[in-house]
Amino acid sequence: MPVDAVVVDGRPGLLWMQMSDVTFSEPFFQQTIDRVRAENPDRPERFTEFDALLQLDQILTRVEPAGFIFHSSRCGSTLLANACRCLNNSIVLSEPNPVDKLVARFITDAVDHVKESLYSVLLRAVVNALGQREVGEQRLFIKFACCSISQLERIRRIWPQVPWIFLYRHPIETIVSNVLNLPAWLVDDDHRILAYITGTSPAEVAEMSIEELCARSIGSFFSTADTLANDNSMLLNYNQLSLPAICDILKFFNVPPSADELERIASGTRIYSKQVLAAREFEPDADAKQKLATDHVREVAERWAMQPYARLELTNHELK
Amino acid sequence: MNSNNLTPGKHVVVTDFDGGEGILVDLNTKKYFQLNETAMVVWKGLEQGKTVGQIADDITGQYEIPLENATRSVERIVDNFQTYKLLSAK
Repeated sequence: MPVDAVVVDGRPGLLWMQMSDVTFSEPFFQQTIDRVRAENPDRPERFTEFDALLQLDQILTRVEPAGFIFHSSRCGSTLLANACRCLNNSIVLSEPNPVDKLVARFITDAVDHVKESLYSVLLRAVVNALGQREVGEQRLFIKFACCSISQLERIRRIWPQVPWIFLYRHPIETIVSNVLNLPAWLVDDDHRILAYITGTSPAEVAEMSIEELCARSIGSFFSTADTLANDNSMLLNYNQLSLPAICDILKFFNVPPSADELERIASGTRIYSKQVLAAREFEPDADAKQKLATDHVREVAERWAMQPYARLELTNHELK
Repeated sequence: MNSNNLTPGKHVVVTDFDGGEGILVDLNTKKYFQLNETAMVVWKGLEQGKTVGQIADDITGQYEIPLENATRSVERIVDNFQTYKLLSAK
């Protein structure tokens, strides 16, 4: 299975690991890879160029995606991914590196139609390789990294039939959460991705405060989701997240949960979603986040994110 | 080489994309080629062992263009495939 997209000696390609005995039980793909490496440091890893992926794609038996999860960061998407994981016979890939990096190549390297098509073919083949059918597995869910929503139009062209959901949250709460615990996407040294998302230059991104960068980014995520929302999509605010809402999403993905699955989902939603050992209980924190917001957070949220958020809320309620 | 005696090389992988277009990968050179819809019809025709004339007939049926033009297009595309060494003799 491809576990990362890397460049070795100037050759772009994939890093592969034998994963047939591994269950993706952690909240994030990379956490599973880290666990597997820690448990067995001698497990072989192999690099191939992308042509090997396309050869493999000709013969793979794969599980087609049942649903895509997009989000604006810190808004309950991991909880939803964990709920999908409670379904029998499901594979949930949460922000897998190879997918994330190939989607990013649309931004940094798809300079012409040929390259755009090539990256689309490679992305589809990577998802196929990640969704290799093991015994009984029938449902594949992918939770994309938050920046991937900027490439939603291209992703939809590859999988036009796959239903998708966009989860989002009030801008102030989102910014506060990100500032308190900085995510990799906001502090990436390669500023091209966020420059594209915010409609600025890498130099301007380098000069922005984290709060402003986050506000402009999530404003852009909201606008993209709002523009592209259609009959094949669902929008969900963090404040709407509940067990019935999760059931509705799973039904929307055409995988209505059974009673047993529902019970597992219910007990899972009581746990903090990103905890690998599932030891910390989930506590609603919207009020706390609002109280922690500085004047600067409120100012950048108002300037860059509140209008797209209001439009998205309107579309969300119109779609219902 | 007689163009009616050609078949896609075993060193070439083709992938459909976007309702008719495709990407070819030459595993020997690691080069990628994007094929438009017509070139994909030609490639698939060659895969099925069809002659240039038969492929031109298919294109005429699909796109309502004169057989003469279709034949010229197919020959040009086959020439391009040969230039890049993507075909081999049957």
